[in-house]
Amino acid sequence: MRDLVFIAFLAVMFLLGSKRPFILILTYAYIDIVSPQRLTYYLLNSIPISLIAFVGAVGAWMVFDNKSDTRLSWRQGLLLLMLVYCGLTTIYADFPIDAARKWDWVWKALVFAIFLPLTLRTRLRIEALSLVMVLSASSIIINGGMKTALSGGGYGVLNLMGVENNSGLYEGSIISTVAICIIPMILFLAKHGTIFPPDWRVKAFAYALCLACLLIPVGTEARTGLICAAILGGLMFIHMKRKLLMGMLGALALVCALPFLPSSFTNRMDTISNYQGDESASTRLAVWMWTLDYVKTHPFGGGFDAYRGNSFHYQTVQRTVEPSGNIRIETINVVDKQRAYHSSYFEMLGEQGYAGFLLWLVINFGTMIQTERVRRRFRDTTDPAKAWIAPYALAMSQGHLIYMIGSFFVGIAFQPFVFMLIALQIGLATYARRLEADAGWQPILPTRPVAAAG
Amino acid sequence: MIDNFSLLLSHGLILVACWRLLSRPDLDDENPVDPRIAFFGRRPREREDA
Repeated sequence: MRDLVFIAFLAVMFLLGSKRPFILILTYAYIDIVSPQRLTYYLLNSIPISLIAFVGAVGAWMVFDNKSDTRLSWRQGLLLLMLVYCGLTTIYADFPIDAARKWDWVWKALVFAIFLPLTLRTRLRIEALSLVMVLSASSIIINGGMKTALSGGGYGVLNLMGVENNSGLYEGSIISTVAICIIPMILFLAKHGTIFPPDWRVKAFAYALCLACLLIPVGTEARTGLICAAILGGLMFIHMKRKLLMGMLGALALVCALPFLPSSFTNRMDTISNYQGDESASTRLAVWMWTLDYVKTHPFGGGFDAYRGNSFHYQTVQRTVEPSGNIRIETINVVDKQRAYHSSYFEMLGEQGYAGFLLWLVINFGTMIQTERVRRRFRDTTDPAKAWIAPYALAMSQGHLIYMIGSFFVGIAFQPFVFMLIALQIGLATYARRLEADAGWQPILPTRPVAAAG
Repeated sequence: MIDNFSLLLSHGLILVACWRLLSRPDLDDENPVDPRIAFFGRRPREREDA
């Protein structure tokens, strides 16, 4: 039954795309985020819907779209360089078969990120893509938020739509990071949206969705999510007008929410400061140290999934309270191997070496800096048609920064979602540049005032 | 039950959004500029009126 509903949905999207080709691009973004083929049992699994949507989107752009005002950005050049570089490291990878498997989806995400800004020529297109990204992610977030509110969730327990292999956005730490990073975008759309103009229904949905986003780190018990949420609170606080009032309301909301948090959540969050007794945190530190050593002998990285070559032993400290009241502290030796990086920064360093790591940093932080520049150029504009640009730029850079902070603890350097965020920001920057160029444009023959002519 | 609800709500909203895009000419072109305006600065007929 679910298969038929998804097929009907995609059929309608393709049909609408035949009327307006940009909708095919939205369809591809939707498929990349939701992965409907993973949610079904038989029919969709056998159809390459992602490929069909991609070919449709690129083909429609090449044939129908106006390309006269298309502008390229240096960051698209860097993404292209990253694509070639990753292709080369895949050829010389330590584990060629595993590397090829990751390369298989990474190149698509990179190509789409290079292509996407070419199509983002109008405000409505930028808004539409942002909206579809938020709504696509909401299919997982509403689900997780409701389940958390009703049952409390648990680390590795929260069942997101029955996807078992924990892949894509359906993994707890990844969806926690993404859920928090889209909150500024949700708030922007609720205030400045034109597809769903702001009214009480839009606002109610947006606030409920933000609540669901905040519940995701609670439900998945991913510590990354809690750190992201705290930083988002700080970032939003900086730009608030009534800081004292909002700060007090925020603190009050936090105090009121604490009793409702499941004890397993608070226990797990305690391990952020008490990481020595936590095997997962100790494993991370050991993998990170291994990566730093590895890259010294492999400056160009080991290709995708190079972590499979790691093996190490480390010690954790376990603290137990005995029935007599004594506290017993034990040092346990742990031997481990083939552990993933659990950090995008170390993922890039280990897999792509110093050069790839640097390139990745420049793409991400360069994009954020560029977006901040756009915000500063437009923040004092009096033109109502351009009033959306500064708040949008702020929402994007906040969301991207949250993602990059979450990336410290999750290996999500090549998630298609972040490349869409980057593409949206490139699209915004080129759009802003065009607006500024248009504002400075003069017709070849000067326009005389009508009264003077008469 | 929750799975179906979240899928229906999110997918329904995506469809409504895309449906609304059909009636928005500014999706593809924000300022449909007449090539004559681009060159002369105003429509030739306006110039005659003036």
